[in-house]
Amino acid sequence: MELRVIFDGKNKAAWNMALDESLLYHLKEVGPTLRLYGWLPPAVSIGYFQSMEEVNVEKAREMGVDVIRRITGGGAVYHKYELTYSIVMPPPPGKILESYRIIEKGIIEALNMIGVKAEMSGINDIIVEGKKISGNAQTRKYGGLLQHGTLLIDVDVDEMFTLLKVPQEKMRDKIIKSVKERVTSLHNLGKKVNFEELQKFMAEGFAKALNAHLYEENLSQKVLSYAKHLEVNKYATREWNFKR
Amino acid sequence: MQQGSGISRGKAVFKSGKLIKIDAVFNGERIERIKITGDFFLHPEEKIEELENALLGVELKDVEKVTARVLKNAEYVGIDVSSIAKTVEEAWKRRQLITSENTSQ
Repeated sequence: MELRVIFDGKNKAAWNMALDESLLYHLKEVGPTLRLYGWLPPAVSIGYFQSMEEVNVEKAREMGVDVIRRITGGGAVYHKYELTYSIVMPPPPGKILESYRIIEKGIIEALNMIGVKAEMSGINDIIVEGKKISGNAQTRKYGGLLQHGTLLIDVDVDEMFTLLKVPQEKMRDKIIKSVKERVTSLHNLGKKVNFEELQKFMAEGFAKALNAHLYEENLSQKVLSYAKHLEVNKYATREWNFKR
Repeated sequence: MQQGSGISRGKAVFKSGKLIKIDAVFNGERIERIKITGDFFLHPEEKIEELENALLGVELKDVEKVTARVLKNAEYVGIDVSSIAKTVEEAWKRRQLITSENTSQ
């Protein structure tokens, strides 16, 4: 497979989600694409099925953190000390849920190159020494597959939980402690890899896992224009972000 | 106060590694409004709105049957037909009356 790779920078949440969808929408014209990006300002994304009530929206506003609903399922993610990937490609044969793993192999390969032995856990997590380092989510639309996910460079669970509501406030400390025990990052594992270095490792990891040949090419005006349309008319709107 | 008739609202959460949250308004044992949220996966995603719409006006006893029909060809993780039905039932058990007027004809 020929796989375009885009070493993107850090962008606003609405643009990131809009560009992912635009790439999926244009898959047939532009071909399989891997985009490696970050979030600036930092953002909390929630899964398609979640309620925005999960997020302390007021606190996010105070902290200058974007909040956004993804097109994909899964849980809330705090995007700050991490690298996010998105890949669009034709769906492989077989069950949707099986294809999560085909793509997650790219992250495992990337981690392997850094000297981190990782494995899949459940359908959408990647773990190292039993702790989560990556979460992933997929959707199928417009005849294509979009999967995106994160790889934690560092993690600040306390900061994350200032932005997330918990079911019972009296349980907050216990929940935070439990999450700290279940989550890790490259820094926690003693790997001082920066964002740009990690982009290269991820590109190589996906190339290996998908047996793909990578090439770099700028995005077409068509893809960017439609992303702009989606940014303004979908992902930046209250109608979308607070729809559930 | 909980009664079999009247308008009531109930919420319940089902945990199975992922969460399913139900927030529903009932008229007696009939669903008047329902929101199904959580961190599960369901393909295609729009099935959730289809399911919420399909459950409107449905009696508790028929929730499982209707859910099974809507989700027939869907793929999912952290959510399934019986956990949805159980959580709706749990929400009904936990309901609080919001008006004593029974609007069912």
